[in-house]
Amino acid sequence: MIETLQWTTLAICALTAAARIPSTLRGENRSLFGIFALMTLAILLSIQAPYIVIDQALGGINLANLLLRFVIFGTIFFMGIRISRGFGADNAYRLITGRTGILVLLVVSAVMIALFFSMDTAGSSAGLQAISAKDARHFALVEYYGAAGRAYPAFVVLALVPAMVRAVRDRLPILVRVAAALLAVGAVAVGLTLLFPVIPPELGQVEFIINYTAILCFVVGLALIWVAKVVNARTAGQRRTSSEM
Amino acid sequence: MTLSAKAFQRWLQGIAPDASTADVCRVSGIKRTTLAQQLVRGKVSVSTVVSISRAYKINPVAALAGFDAYTALAGPQRPPTRSELVSQVSTPDLLRALLARPAMDAALGAAAPALSATPHATSVKNWVDAIDDGEVRHRVSASTGVAPQNYSAQLTANRLSPELAVATALAAGVGPAGGLVATGIITEEEAGWPPGARQAALDSLADGELTALAGDRLQAMGKVLRRQEQDQAQTEKIWENLG
Repeated sequence: MIETLQWTTLAICALTAAARIPSTLRGENRSLFGIFALMTLAILLSIQAPYIVIDQALGGINLANLLLRFVIFGTIFFMGIRISRGFGADNAYRLITGRTGILVLLVVSAVMIALFFSMDTAGSSAGLQAISAKDARHFALVEYYGAAGRAYPAFVVLALVPAMVRAVRDRLPILVRVAAALLAVGAVAVGLTLLFPVIPPELGQVEFIINYTAILCFVVGLALIWVAKVVNARTAGQRRTSSEM
Repeated sequence: MTLSAKAFQRWLQGIAPDASTADVCRVSGIKRTTLAQQLVRGKVSVSTVVSISRAYKINPVAALAGFDAYTALAGPQRPPTRSELVSQVSTPDLLRALLARPAMDAALGAAAPALSATPHATSVKNWVDAIDDGEVRHRVSASTGVAPQNYSAQLTANRLSPELAVATALAAGVGPAGGLVATGIITEEEAGWPPGARQAALDSLADGELTALAGDRLQAMGKVLRRQEQDQAQTEKIWENLG
């Protein structure tokens, strides 16, 4: 089931990124294509088979996992900028791009890199499961490393939640409100990842479901806003032609 | 509220005993599928009864009065109040009337063109404002069980269900058919408003009253327009960044 969820999410994300290519070539919101492409890469890196292939190419010391963390940070950072600008969340925008946001990003990154290199990471293993199983010290280090990797995304998306909730209740086109609701659900899901350490290991599937719910909500939410724009442009165009007749 | 299909069939028997449903639809211009669906669901809309009444040259108000939910419409029609009449003058007509007053522009002074037919773009809201003593909304929501915010939402959209329109008129103590005129279900003539009554009411307003009224209308219109513009700007911004 988890595998299906992963590959489906990958397909949806890749298709959305591909669908953005024409408008990217026209120069419309290039960073959106970047966001979708980065998301696709992130999902690819979190699935076992592609992870092993890529990590082997990078030397087999799980550098691909570190890469995955930074791909996620990049996606979240640019998504945070676009969403906070689009929804007029000036406070969230200042928080993410201001000194606080950059400081959080730098500290989290430094901690993550330090933790990564203090581990013996030889032997490709998606999610560092094999590394975690080595001994108690490595188990703890992997937990801290994972927590650091979840901290920055949670920081960014939680800053966006109030603006999303406001947008759902505003008088905006219905598709945009649905999109805002999806983004809010995705943001809450990312926020929930902070609770992963207290989830018992036998409920490990819950972590996957929360992660992929978040990604799917973000991808579909962002795509819906785009759809709403296209739909609006088309109906506005029709209105113009019909009034000219 | 809709009318029961049973009562509707009985009423139809009374006015067109030999007509088939198809005949009725043809003369009244109602789509056959629409009427069939309303009959199957057992709920016939007020506008269906109004259309059929007009086709058979019956006063729609009198026809509606024969249904249980609308008995309040029975009896001699009460004349509208002056503020009701003025509320049913559209804002452009009101402004033209104001501009034609010598007090505004002595040089103009020409007669304003004839008023456009009811209803107008904000007719429902203006009508309720015209008859509201400040408590009408509460009384309507108490008597009908409709939540105040749903009632306000209908007014903002310049809509009011026929049931609420009649309930509002009753709660305000004005002629029961006035709300049906404001919502455009029936014409002022069908409601028994004398011809030219709106024009006469408008003419009877003193310059000061008319100017203040026009000011109120413009202020309300400005608020609506500003809100629309803000919503539009917000949407544009979302699309500009995320579309």
